[in-house]
Amino acid sequence: MNEYCRWASKELVPTKDPGQPEFHQAVEEVLESVAPVLDAHSEYRQARILERLVEPERVIMFRVPWVDDRGEIQVNRGFRVQMNSAIGPYKGGLRLHPSVNLSIIKFLAFEQVFKNALTTLPMGGAKGGSDFNPKGKSDNEVMRFCQSFMTELYRHIGPDTDVPAGDIGVGGREIGYLWGQYKRLRNEFTGALTGKGTAWGGSLIRPEATGYGVVYIATEYLATKGESLEGKTCLVSGSGNVAQYTVEKLLDLGAKPVTLSDSSGYIYDESGITREKLAFVMRLKNVMRGRISEYVSKYPEAVYQEADPTLGYNPLWSHPADCAFPSATQNEINDRDAAHMLREGVHLVAEGANMPTTPGAIENLADGGAVIIPAKAANAGGVAVSGLEMSQNSMRIAWTREEVDARLQGIMKEIFTTITVAAERYGLENDLIAGANIAGFLKVANAMMDQGVV
Amino acid sequence: MHEYAREVIEAVKARDPLEPEFHQAVTEVFESVAPVLDAHSEYRQARILERLVEPERVIMFRVPWVDDNGDIQVNRGFRVQMNSAIGPYKGGLRFHPSVNLSTMKFLGFEQTFKNALTTLPMGGAKGGSDFNPKGKSDSEVMRFCQSFMTELYRHIGPDTDVPAGDIGVGGREIGYLFGQYKRLKNEFTGVLTGKGLGWGGSLVRPEATGYGVAYFITEMLATKGDSLAGKTIAISGYGNVGTYFVQKAVEFGAKVVSIGDEYGCAFDPDGISGEKLAYMADLWTVYRKSAKEYADKFDCEWRPETKPWRFIKCDIAVPTAMQNEIEAEDAAALVANGCQVVCEAANMPCTSEAIHVFEEAGVMYAPGKAANAGGVATSGLEMSQNSMRLSWSSDEVDGRLHQIMTGIHQACLEAAERFGSPGDYATGANIAGFLKVANAMMDQGVV
Repeated sequence: MNEYCRWASKELVPTKDPGQPEFHQAVEEVLESVAPVLDAHSEYRQARILERLVEPERVIMFRVPWVDDRGEIQVNRGFRVQMNSAIGPYKGGLRLHPSVNLSIIKFLAFEQVFKNALTTLPMGGAKGGSDFNPKGKSDNEVMRFCQSFMTELYRHIGPDTDVPAGDIGVGGREIGYLWGQYKRLRNEFTGALTGKGTAWGGSLIRPEATGYGVVYIATEYLATKGESLEGKTCLVSGSGNVAQYTVEKLLDLGAKPVTLSDSSGYIYDESGITREKLAFVMRLKNVMRGRISEYVSKYPEAVYQEADPTLGYNPLWSHPADCAFPSATQNEINDRDAAHMLREGVHLVAEGANMPTTPGAIENLADGGAVIIPAKAANAGGVAVSGLEMSQNSMRIAWTREEVDARLQGIMKEIFTTITVAAERYGLENDLIAGANIAGFLKVANAMMDQGVV
Repeated sequence: MHEYAREVIEAVKARDPLEPEFHQAVTEVFESVAPVLDAHSEYRQARILERLVEPERVIMFRVPWVDDNGDIQVNRGFRVQMNSAIGPYKGGLRFHPSVNLSTMKFLGFEQTFKNALTTLPMGGAKGGSDFNPKGKSDSEVMRFCQSFMTELYRHIGPDTDVPAGDIGVGGREIGYLFGQYKRLKNEFTGVLTGKGLGWGGSLVRPEATGYGVAYFITEMLATKGDSLAGKTIAISGYGNVGTYFVQKAVEFGAKVVSIGDEYGCAFDPDGISGEKLAYMADLWTVYRKSAKEYADKFDCEWRPETKPWRFIKCDIAVPTAMQNEIEAEDAAALVANGCQVVCEAANMPCTSEAIHVFEEAGVMYAPGKAANAGGVATSGLEMSQNSMRLSWSSDEVDGRLHQIMTGIHQACLEAAERFGSPGDYATGANIAGFLKVANAMMDQGVV
């Protein structure tokens, strides 16, 4: 590994930020990939690009006091990490979850910088949130929390400064409350947040974007081999928004999705999940808030298997298939799963979730000749359509579904080309993880070089 | 310890495990206010402690700059805006390699109560950077300060947050910072204190902390019918605070016999005054030299790697250097050598164990947040003068400073008496500061 990369990831960051393991891991992963770039270009070292990339431009942490339904005062901590604005206003989601801390928010913001760079749209990288847990809270409590949170955040964001979006724990309801308070404080109706309702500035296709995007980029890869998704058997994990629209687009393109899961277990439907069955899953998950096990009560031809953490692998990945779309959570594919996938014929993994594949699994899959399209590229459709929402807000005009979908498809195609070319340029054919990191890095680093020491 | 205080301290440790200095400061204050919490359950109901330990706002930022070799340097800047219940945020900027979030939060927390004691309308904050001004050229310091202010300017202002100097930030740095602030905002306002006299500074500001400590000790001794005349005093630093403390102590008839730095300690049994005092005043602020130069020049004893507390016989010890410089063993040595009064000119220079040793031995102990509040009090007076666009004379400022120090001393003793620890300055200072801030928070609702 390049000496400068090694020093930055093994010495600089761990010394400066002890107690931030997630952030260290993210930095190490990116810097490993870009080592060949730094070997070839000493000017990045001279300009101290790595030191500047790992130091957020601005971190804001703040007190969020609010009153719960019993009249008791609660105190949470809010975060916004504005990592890098070299190529556009800061952009990245807000996460409301008890696990939120500075390390996790910095890791996510760091990843966001490169993901956003790949979208081709002018967006810098950021992330934010709070250790507030929306589970078990009333609508009113969530509203009061969101209002208090925004009462501090509003001074640090704006349509040309920083445009937050949703993430875990922040959906349409929370974005609504946050945006209402922002508007009240500023008295300005602008695109300060994305993921808004379509009646008040939201974009069509925003809910579908991540899932559709993953399938579009998989199509691009298959096309380079003269193949298509037509007739391909596909493993999909998860059953949330990303998984649902991945399945929908797979069906549009003639593929056969056969699995879905939630935290309690997974279903395997060898005959294929059809449109009718998908509609049932959407109702089950989005309206009735039920478990995926109910799928087999309705469609007895499928089998349900309960999650078994003692097993050491996830049997969802042990069924015969061509492609896999992990859309549930981080580290859901380990090295044993990877071995099973190779045995069952999987040769393409497109990451819908963030960091679903463990380092060991990545190694196994690569050795077995399978290609991984990393999350940074594959699930960038979500933030890309957020970028399109910003454009529509700025021009005060909304596009049709077809217009947004076509742009999304164009963006995914371009992302695929960019990461492939970057991988090839540095002699790493088929290593799309390195390709994505290198392409993202180059775009950000070169913009930083142009703008001087800031 | 009160159960509510213990719960909140445990929550702080669980949430911010890597902040030992902050834990120490919170524990020290919360231990003191237990009798207040016993008497007033409304603070618990309003979750005052949970809100006090959570900074209203923390800003951390990248500070890139170019050194004289043309190499790019990257530092990290901090501003912890702890509490604004009783006034705009106010607190110093520290430039030192040891600066991290824990030290900043500890200092911001202490500042909240110290500022409350001054009787002036100032909330609590602290900031700085891990930048090391030692060995840097003027030009490098200027470029660093300009880059630092280019981010900080958006978070401060004369009615919002008014930073001042601290370790590594003196007149030179305040000048560079103020220049850049003015250039960015195009407004000439009192956004920083510790400014030069020609551009909005206050008379007696440089002297204020040292003078204030001397005034405070005078008040302490007066409660025993005693005075500074004829007393032997040991101090550990030789910056602004030490220099002006010596000046005032000598004026009051005392003898100061030591100075020191991180390399050791100079022992001058004849006492520092006259020509020696003039040299001491310039030693760091002008020549940037070690305290050893003093020992060399005036041919007195230099003990490397030693603190004055270990071997000097003194009536009064005034730590003027760094946090935790007096540990339990140092305290025991002071007691054994007959020390009667310990007055903190630095911030948190005594460890909890050391304070315990003083209490056991019946040594009068005054905490920094009361005794060294003269500095920030005069910063407050600088703000007033800036706001009214008029300057006071030296005598006017000094008179107000003296009055404020007498008032702080009085407030500490009264609070200590009222809550059952007569004569305990540490408890009294914490309670008086806490009550002022907590009551203001109660009045202003959940913010």
